[in-house]
Amino acid sequence: MSSSTDAPVSPRSQFALACFEELLETAVVDVASECHRIARLGLDRGVDAEEEELRAWAARDHPGAEEGGGAVGGGGGNKGVVDVFGQVLPAVAADLVDCMNCGRPVAAGRFAPHLEKCMGKGRKARTKTTRSSTAGRTRNNNGSAASSYSPYSSPAIANRASLPNGVTDGSASVTGEDHSNHILPEP
Amino acid sequence: MWASINRPPTPNREEDPQKELSLREIINVKLVESGEKEKLMELLRERLVECGWRDEMKALCRAYARKKGRNNVTVDDLIHVITPKGRASVPDSVKAELLQRIQSFLMSSSSLR
Repeated sequence: MSSSTDAPVSPRSQFALACFEELLETAVVDVASECHRIARLGLDRGVDAEEEELRAWAARDHPGAEEGGGAVGGGGGNKGVVDVFGQVLPAVAADLVDCMNCGRPVAAGRFAPHLEKCMGKGRKARTKTTRSSTAGRTRNNNGSAASSYSPYSSPAIANRASLPNGVTDGSASVTGEDHSNHILPEP
Repeated sequence: MWASINRPPTPNREEDPQKELSLREIINVKLVESGEKEKLMELLRERLVECGWRDEMKALCRAYARKKGRNNVTVDDLIHVITPKGRASVPDSVKAELLQRIQSFLMSSSSLR
């Protein structure tokens, strides 16, 4: 009784081991429930597709296997890879993707390096692209300003009367700004 | 006569296991209240992810799910399948680290008493 009340080393180590087993059981349950959720919801299809892609790469590394599979010969293997459904796939993806930054159509196989240049990040960044996108924004503003006209022109007339006396070129740009200013109160 | 008088009475003997259980329960409560249990759990998860244990367990679960079919698998089946392998494949360094932390907490809690 006295030894047990003093809490010797062995019960402490046993308790520590029990705690560790409990924590490990919790970790195992977490992994099991997560994998069960993935399996039930069908989220592992992407993983299956990835594994098939890895198999395709392995098949590409071994052209002999392709010949054994029933292909015509080396020529067929060199041209492209035959997938599970018997369709010939090009070496580089040729699908066109519209860039969300500059709006240009880019081949899917070259989309990543294009983004690296287009978004101004990485080693091959281009500052000109950023400037051209800025210019596009100003063009949009000018177009929207020119399209509409405000009926309330009395304060605008005063502004125009004062500004044209200064510079004729400046008056043109100021006119655009006045239009843009008048657009805001309408909605 | 003297020997029988010196012996502890029967109710005390019965109380001993109850005291032991209550002692463990008290320590568990202290673990939870102080937040140490949550810290230990997070540390364990982090260590298991680092050493690749979690990915290995995930692969085993995925293989079993394929064998039995997606709609036929249950959480209990997965737990029963991966628990023995999971316990066996935990690295000794991770286990030793956590046991050391638990024992240090026990010593600190016993000193508080």
